[in-house]
Amino acid sequence: MHLPHSTLKQEFVKKWIMGLQRCKFSNNNMSIFERKKAIKLSADTAMASARKGLTCWSRALISNPDRPVPTTTRRASLACKKIVKRSRRIRRTAKCGAARKRQITRSIAQCLVRKRTQILKSLIPGGEFMNEVCLIEETLDYITSLRVQVDVMRSLASASVRASEPHN
Amino acid sequence: MSSRRSRQSTAGVSRISDDQIIELVSKLQQLLPEIRDRRSDKVSASKVLQETCNYIRSLHKEVDDLSERLSQLLATIDADSAEAAIIRSLIM
Repeated sequence: MHLPHSTLKQEFVKKWIMGLQRCKFSNNNMSIFERKKAIKLSADTAMASARKGLTCWSRALISNPDRPVPTTTRRASLACKKIVKRSRRIRRTAKCGAARKRQITRSIAQCLVRKRTQILKSLIPGGEFMNEVCLIEETLDYITSLRVQVDVMRSLASASVRASEPHN
Repeated sequence: MSSRRSRQSTAGVSRISDDQIIELVSKLQQLLPEIRDRRSDKVSASKVLQETCNYIRSLHKEVDDLSERLSQLLATIDADSAEAAIIRSLIM
């Protein structure tokens, strides 16, 4: 299931060029914002279709390409901060025995992991339907695909900069 | 992979082996630039999750910024250079 970086890159470039050609930038009088949306949409679709339906996140992204901004993030991260503050306060109390402290620390850690898992689920396309193992596996694949996407987009951007420079 | 995966019940209790999770979390650790460079084995799961979320958010932001930049660059790509001609023929 895990493809080498270069293979994934080739697949992405192929699909992205196809997608960009469909946008017909030369014919339309698009605004910069519309062009940006088209570029991003074609990049996301290319990234997802390069996985050829083998991963959950790619199927979820293709069926729902407009990434909703996670609304629970702020609440969850505030909750995380409260948990960390509470753990620092508890550790300072000398009254707690060592065993009780360990128990509290462990349950705080579990709480943190749960909250952060929730945040991760909101970041991965289709994440809310995954169990723990699936989520981590999908995250690994999603991160490698995102890196390829960023890599190729950066290359095109720097090539475009060079292409726009006055001919020497 | 062992077949000890279970379907997650609505109560959120799943009998997934700890070893599976530890192995996956260590793979995640290898991918994250922050943690990998520190070369420490004692990174907690919650820290790995936090760094993962931050990393994914930063990648999303970078894609967004690059899309914006490409949108502006491709709008003005009518120079006479050879590279411009190649790019135009590729995607326009």
